[in-house]
Amino acid sequence: MDEEPERAKRWEGGYERTWEVLKEDESGSLKATVEDILFQAKRKRVFEGHGQVRLGMMRHLFVIIDSSRSMEDQDLKPNRLTSTLKLMEFFVEEYFDQNPISQIGIITTKNKRAEKLTDLAGNPKKHLAALKKAVDSTCVGEPSLYNSLNCVALPSGTDIKEILVIFSSLTTCDPANIYELIKTLNALKIRVSVIGLSAEVRVCTILTRETGGSYNVILDESHFKELLMLHVKPPPASSSSECSLIRMGFPQHVIASMSDQDAKPSFSMLHLDSTGEPGLTLGGYYCPQCRAKYTELPVECKVCGLTLVSAPHLARSFHHLFPLEAFQETPLEEYEGERFCETCQGELKDKCVFTCLACKKVFCVECDLFIHDTLHCCPGCMQTDRTS
Amino acid sequence: VHFVAVDTAMASLSEEVLLVVKRVRQRKQDGTLYLMAERLAWGPEGKDRFTVSHLYADIRCQKISPDGKAKIQLQLVLHTGESTTFHFANESTALKDRDVAKELLQQLLPKFKKKANKELEEKNRMLQEDPVLFQLYKDLVVSQVISAEEFWANRLSLNSVEHSLSNNNKQEVGISAAFLADIRPQTDGCNGLRYNLTTDIIESIFRTYPTVKQKYAENVPHNMTEKEFWTRFFQSHYFHRDRINTGLQDIFSECAKEDEKGLKSMVTQGVKNPMVDLLSLEDKTLDEGYGTATVPTTSNSSNKSLRENSNSAIIKRFNHHSAMVLAAGLRKRHQILTSLFVAFQVKLQEAIEYDDLQGDSGRKTISLNLKKSDRYSHGPIPLQSQHYSTSQDIINSISIIQHEMRSYKPRLTQVMSSSAASSAITALSPGGVLMQGGGQQTINQLVPTDVQSELKHLYTAAGELLRHFWSCFPISTPFLEEKVVKMKSNLEKFQVMKLRPFQEKIQRQYLSTNLTGHLEEMLQAAYNKFQAWQTRRMMRKT
Repeated sequence: MDEEPERAKRWEGGYERTWEVLKEDESGSLKATVEDILFQAKRKRVFEGHGQVRLGMMRHLFVIIDSSRSMEDQDLKPNRLTSTLKLMEFFVEEYFDQNPISQIGIITTKNKRAEKLTDLAGNPKKHLAALKKAVDSTCVGEPSLYNSLNCVALPSGTDIKEILVIFSSLTTCDPANIYELIKTLNALKIRVSVIGLSAEVRVCTILTRETGGSYNVILDESHFKELLMLHVKPPPASSSSECSLIRMGFPQHVIASMSDQDAKPSFSMLHLDSTGEPGLTLGGYYCPQCRAKYTELPVECKVCGLTLVSAPHLARSFHHLFPLEAFQETPLEEYEGERFCETCQGELKDKCVFTCLACKKVFCVECDLFIHDTLHCCPGCMQTDRTS
Repeated sequence: VHFVAVDTAMASLSEEVLLVVKRVRQRKQDGTLYLMAERLAWGPEGKDRFTVSHLYADIRCQKISPDGKAKIQLQLVLHTGESTTFHFANESTALKDRDVAKELLQQLLPKFKKKANKELEEKNRMLQEDPVLFQLYKDLVVSQVISAEEFWANRLSLNSVEHSLSNNNKQEVGISAAFLADIRPQTDGCNGLRYNLTTDIIESIFRTYPTVKQKYAENVPHNMTEKEFWTRFFQSHYFHRDRINTGLQDIFSECAKEDEKGLKSMVTQGVKNPMVDLLSLEDKTLDEGYGTATVPTTSNSSNKSLRENSNSAIIKRFNHHSAMVLAAGLRKRHQILTSLFVAFQVKLQEAIEYDDLQGDSGRKTISLNLKKSDRYSHGPIPLQSQHYSTSQDIINSISIIQHEMRSYKPRLTQVMSSSAASSAITALSPGGVLMQGGGQQTINQLVPTDVQSELKHLYTAAGELLRHFWSCFPISTPFLEEKVVKMKSNLEKFQVMKLRPFQEKIQRQYLSTNLTGHLEEMLQAAYNKFQAWQTRRMMRKT
């Protein structure tokens, strides 16, 4: 009985003394305990994502990718840069899937300088194309944290609130005192997070601590992916942001045919630069304010600046605000009921089983994580008759 | 319509005044001539205002009256062709005054001329590099829909945000601590060494060792070529490890002496950190395997062994290099002077606490405060009830589907593959294959490509004008009021001068499709907005 409060304290206290938990197995490897720690951290996030919290949903995120010589290292296959760019493609897709009304911009840093790879934009296509092309670029010199952060902090037009740095080098070559820049970033309320590929670097620790971001160092490629995906969820809003009404347009998709009397073929405002397809089209989304046409949503109208979205885009982000309730955890010994998980139909073999408090169906550990991370609704509840 | 109002009142005296010449007449009036940092101005005697003011950038050239003439004059010719003449009227010093003014102008004008040209160059470059922009320029400016100034005023404000991110040249760059190592000499096969110098490395050398920069300025290109300079540099004892002052006369021997002086002054300055005591840093020995076994020698240089001498030379060189790199980086910024006491407290705090050992305090979050959160679970409810004409079949089908959904049980072995499912969804989504109105292919065949590309240009030009129109709203200043009126007339001009001719042309080609209908819709939307604004404004005034 004495053990239980100890166990609970460790789990809830966020591992204050992590070195106590690490135990070597017979071969002297720490791998099993490390994996266990990661898994527990994952579960903890399910519980933490609770209580209705204000989130920053219209996100403006800049990703700074280190392209210095250290990115040629082959500890990630085939080398760090290629692996990072591949994961970034996946990240960009997930990001726009979970945050349809947000934007991303990408910057690279090498040779003591920072370069813009893509502008801040709300459409994933350009970013994906640029990331694919960047695989051929050379990795040279030292990165510059100062220059890359500075070129994000300078232009004051947009509301840049988040920066994610993927930092592989152990040094940074800066033209001025980076601590002053950290003060500026704080004043602009920009949150900087870092994912380190080599080891913990003190300047990154201070940078993330002062600006309220997170800092993690990867263990391997799958851990890298997990850490990246942590940034897909919208972060809690900072205290100073006020509620404001945001104007948005919700254009209906119009389909027309040539046989219509008043068929008006038109160009989309985003297709004027390209010489090829698509050309004139009959349907599309027309901005309710200025009647400019677009073929895809969400988009910021080039002519009048109105944000055009469809209702499902907004609805898709709701699960962040109204997360699914955590299921009740019961140790396997105490559980008396069906021996099979409701969704995967596998035998319940884990230490614990999870019960949905609403429909009383039971799930295994993996399904519980999947339901909370990806599905956002309980499959058991979906089946029962709901009166709306 | 101007974006920047130029203020010529005396308030601009906050600019640095370089030269004041009294008793200078302009248009038969006595007054004083002022030459300032960016402009030249003249004010009549006894008055506070300038009546004449010209930016150096606007001045094309200056002319002086020939020697021997009774009137000693200086004339300024502007780019616009206008000219202003000043008559130096002080009997005793007129010639000297005029010449002093002339010399100063001779120095100042070229500096600003470059700026004016640079802008023109920049504009030309932008037009050459971007064919879309060039086409836009042709469509809007050459056909006189808007003026060139308006066009550039609008464009440049767009680019300023992009510029700071894409203009690499403007970035200041730090000095890599390993920049000398990056030079990486390679043997060239004939007993020689090749050093690879890049602009970055040269800049790092100049910034870290200002004496070398001085030597470079003094010697290149008068005394030797750049290549010779660097060859000598790498050959000099100054550069090599055994940097003991042999007294050899090469151009770099002074640099070594300068470095010594610099290092000594840094040491005497000491370190401002109260927690660091440089003098107590010594190699200590605890036991075998911990620290050096030898007894630390006294600072008497005659006791030092040869090895210790070269060791201390290397250490001195490292310390100097690091100090210079740090100093070069900080040289451009002001040192922030915090009070010594506060700094001490901060250092003390840092020394006794270690943040990593503290628990994760967890982020402070703000709770969501929604009045009716269930409104988010379903879409908007229509205000009026809809009437559907239903047949019993439709009602029956709906209830059958509802029943099926309620009693759905997953049969995971009999589902579609995910790729089949997603391609079905894509085909049925807006823009998908099954969602095209008929005739998608035929329009593009009906309308010839040259007509399509001309239409695209019209769209781009109209889009640009419309963008400026819509950016005026909400109209909060008289400046915006003026601008919106101007833009509306620009739109009308565009419709008459570009759109109508195009419409007539395609009618002549017997193209029956209404190709300009959409553009007209967009223009009409803008006109309606303008109308609504005007009406509201008039109602407010009455």
